[in-house]
Amino acid sequence: MISEPTAPAVLLDDVTVSFDGRIALDRVTFQVPAGGFVAMIGPNGAGKTTCLRVVLGLLNPQSGVVRVFGRPPGHLHGDVGYVPQRIVIPRGFPISALDVVLMGRTALLGPGRRPRAVDREAARAALRRVGLDGSAARRFEELSGGQQQRVLIARALCGRPRLLLLDEPTAGLDSGARARFYALVCDLQHAEGLTLLCATHDLDVVGDHADTLVLLDHAVRAMGTPSEVLASGALESAYPLPDGHVHSAAERETR
Amino acid sequence: MSDFLGYAFVQRALVTGTLLGVTCAVLSFFVVLRRMAFVGVGLSHAALGGVALGVVLGVPPLLAAAVFTVFVAWVIGWIRGRREVSEDTAIGVFFPTSMALGVVLISLSPAYRQDLMAYLFGNILSVRSEEVLPIAGLCLTGLGLLGWYFKELLFVGVDEEAALAAGLPAGRLRFMLLTLLAVTIVAALRLVGIVLVSAFLVIPAATGQALARSLGGMLVVAVASAVGSVLIGLWLSWSWDLPSGAAIVLVSASGFFVALTAGRRLPIGGRPQKSTGRR
Repeated sequence: MISEPTAPAVLLDDVTVSFDGRIALDRVTFQVPAGGFVAMIGPNGAGKTTCLRVVLGLLNPQSGVVRVFGRPPGHLHGDVGYVPQRIVIPRGFPISALDVVLMGRTALLGPGRRPRAVDREAARAALRRVGLDGSAARRFEELSGGQQQRVLIARALCGRPRLLLLDEPTAGLDSGARARFYALVCDLQHAEGLTLLCATHDLDVVGDHADTLVLLDHAVRAMGTPSEVLASGALESAYPLPDGHVHSAAERETR
Repeated sequence: MSDFLGYAFVQRALVTGTLLGVTCAVLSFFVVLRRMAFVGVGLSHAALGGVALGVVLGVPPLLAAAVFTVFVAWVIGWIRGRREVSEDTAIGVFFPTSMALGVVLISLSPAYRQDLMAYLFGNILSVRSEEVLPIAGLCLTGLGLLGWYFKELLFVGVDEEAALAAGLPAGRLRFMLLTLLAVTIVAALRLVGIVLVSAFLVIPAATGQALARSLGGMLVVAVASAVGSVLIGLWLSWSWDLPSGAAIVLVSASGFFVALTAGRRLPIGGRPQKSTGRR
């Protein structure tokens, strides 16, 4: 758990990953400072999820250096929480929101040990933090998409992480739910001192909350504050549109 | 009833049937959670190839079936971790191949055909006394492992990626579940046979899911439904001279349909809650 005081929470240095000769990440370099919020944006298949899998230690890069709190990934499970796009539970399976959140305690407890009162209280506290304290006993499948995402955040928080990795966590949510989701994540970042690394397509919302945007299209195409990246012109090359279409109202006016 | 319980072969059938029923019920919880019903069908049919191999090679058929079925389970697990072929496609290949292998090998041993029906449809009443301890040992070991790793298997079953991220050995847990499934299927061939065992790996959990409101309640109902099906099925088999495996599965399926009709009127494992959370 001891890390160098100056070490970034996440460091990717010249990281290359390929699958069957196809380059997924091409010499990617960026870092996430402790307590910071970095959002990776980019088109589908740009390597955002691959990047998260590298940070989680689920994929080994062909070259480059990856460090999480100054150590190789895959050795700091308690410090890293993961929020997926969604989880799919068989219809009618009676798993409650509290059951899902308690899964966040699994690694802390170890095999053969059932969750105790203190674990249940930690799970309830995590649900309170995401505003779902009244929904602990409700079936997970009965919750709205936004509520399900908050349960998954609570599950990640329940493991007491310092770093939260979010993989397109608002896919399928309406714009209001997406805005509320990022507001909640930001509140948690400041209240809990969390570091956030998020893969997202929410160009319109995430810029209001993230400290840094990384525009990824296999390689890093742009990086900086949201306003710098969104104004850089790199978006147009990463998200090419058919001839005749324009990206923004401002651009339409200049035409 | 005292006549029924007075025979040693009935007592053996009740003991092994109950243990197999409990083990299948707990396994069925994970089979339904992980949508592995087709895996159960595939492995149970692979067991026929193993039985036939045992006959041809001159080793105990159930031992050969256990080794062969575990091998097939591991190959399915290995294929699942690769990209070339999907899991259900792999099962779709192994299912008829193992079945065909079994049919060809058994056709080469004409003297053995008379026992084939016992493997296809099961006959728990024919369990010999020397088979009781091994079956009990397998069931108790399986239940012990399922209990020890219950919350880990639950996490991996719900969200394998997040479980891996949390440091759980998701791959090893998946292979453990497949191995337990394969071994239990072979042990349960004596109970309900190759054709019907896959039903016993789905129906108990499905009944639990139809009635219960919590994971604990679902497990309790699944176990009660499996044990009740074994006891009632055996009694019906004894009373009306019915094939025991088919009688057990029919009782189990009847329980499921009753549960489905009763819906969730029975508050097993908690009552429904109104939402108080913000959307």
